[in-house]
Amino acid sequence: MDAANTINLSADERDCLQEITNVAMGQAADHLARLLDQFVVLSIPHVELLSPSDIAMALQSLQGPQSVSGVCQGFLGGGLAGECMLIFNDASFQDLASLFKYESELDEHTEHELLMDAANVLVGACLKGLAEQLDVEFSFGPPMLLGQHLCIDELLKNTNKLWKQALVVEINYRIEDFNVNCDLLLILTEDSIHRLLTKIACLLD
Amino acid sequence: MAEKINILDELHWLMDVLQSIDVGLVVLNQDFEIELWNSFMQNHSALMPSDVMGKSLFSLFPELPENWFRRKAESVFVLHNAAFTTWEQRQYLIKFKNYRPITGVAEYMYQNSTIVPLIDTQGDVNHICLIIYDVTDTAVNKEGMRNANAQLEQLSRTDRLTQLFNRGWWEECLEKEFKRNQRQPSDCCLVMFDIDHFKKVNDTYGHPAGDEVIRRTAETLRNNLRDVDIAGRYGGEEFAIILINADEDGAGIFAERLRANIESLEVFYDGTQIPYTISLGISQLNEKINSPGGWIEAADSALYEAKHAGRNCWKVNKP
Repeated sequence: MDAANTINLSADERDCLQEITNVAMGQAADHLARLLDQFVVLSIPHVELLSPSDIAMALQSLQGPQSVSGVCQGFLGGGLAGECMLIFNDASFQDLASLFKYESELDEHTEHELLMDAANVLVGACLKGLAEQLDVEFSFGPPMLLGQHLCIDELLKNTNKLWKQALVVEINYRIEDFNVNCDLLLILTEDSIHRLLTKIACLLD
Repeated sequence: MAEKINILDELHWLMDVLQSIDVGLVVLNQDFEIELWNSFMQNHSALMPSDVMGKSLFSLFPELPENWFRRKAESVFVLHNAAFTTWEQRQYLIKFKNYRPITGVAEYMYQNSTIVPLIDTQGDVNHICLIIYDVTDTAVNKEGMRNANAQLEQLSRTDRLTQLFNRGWWEECLEKEFKRNQRQPSDCCLVMFDIDHFKKVNDTYGHPAGDEVIRRTAETLRNNLRDVDIAGRYGGEEFAIILINADEDGAGIFAERLRANIESLEVFYDGTQIPYTISLGISQLNEKINSPGGWIEAADSALYEAKHAGRNCWKVNKP
């Protein structure tokens, strides 16, 4: 990577981003708790500039070698564009099903359905909070299945490697008394980062 | 006055756009009763607004599973977020015919949908808007590609002449089975066999006759397999089988039956009967075998023993 083109986050910018996402997540957790009748625990969002291979590595360290399933959803608005990636540990499905009050037996199709429902709820809640904090409105593409029952490398195999750097906000969701472990990655494109930093600069002043 | 006309004009255009846009728009209240039905919906359902207004979506369209849709809609009412469904979850929400009834491949429309919250002046969500997109072409193309890929995958794994697995794929299976066995040891046997004096068959009766012999051998092998067993054509006249959950005794029974079946087989080519036999070698996986290659060597050396013992028989490799 050309060092001159690399974006760096100052400590202030990173703190500010972390704070914004943290507030957004707090709101998301509140909404989710109301929908699911369960207490939702969210990790402090972790903000990082990453390359495509870094993302796979970051996920690997979170999820370990177990098989995972994932969905992604594109969003854009206010000059910002990116994708949300939702990665579930495959061990989570049984509990996820009871959380979403699914009564039928789990198979590949109901798991797909569950992933989509979870994406609707988790991605929606998280991005709504963020949009409010940044005073923008996002449009969303339909959620797409990344893959089911794969290791992280396989899951991300068919994604493009055209970009060099993206701003990644990583949030871990846990739900009290349920064995649901899921990571939400909010990935903003390179050209969005400048606009985001400008918005943040206004907030910092 | 001019301004007033402009506002009315604008409203008129907006209504026109809603009417003529080629996606389905339905506004529903909290009881899922229809409050807006645009022309896409009218034309595809052949129901006019007067037929549907104030009626429940579920009673009008029983093909839409109520619990399924309620679950999606509930999150919209509670979270004030959009919810999405795609054709991969369910081909359609409402059963509409294909837009191209003559040349289209699919009989019914594939639909993606978005459910968006409609926020009123008080900031509450008492209505939602269901937006239905026709994605038939995308879906049909994607499914076509998926089928083509599955066929390609099948072809790339299969040996043309015998319809058994080819060597490449069979070796991959062997490796997988070997690794699986290292994690969870169980009885597993490898059987390798070849056709005795196959060169003579070719030289005497010609290559097409040789092909027929190989084809019939594969067919006999297939008839003796269980669903879990993995059989491949390893070389020209050489075959290999992984017998899952089978010990030496079980593999011996399998080998003897196959040997006897082949010996009594009546293969004719051009009216001439071609009698032939096979020799087999068996190796049960044990801790002394430390690679898939080593396992093949063990079975191969048993096969060699069988050849030495006069052919048309089977031998077990003793660790």
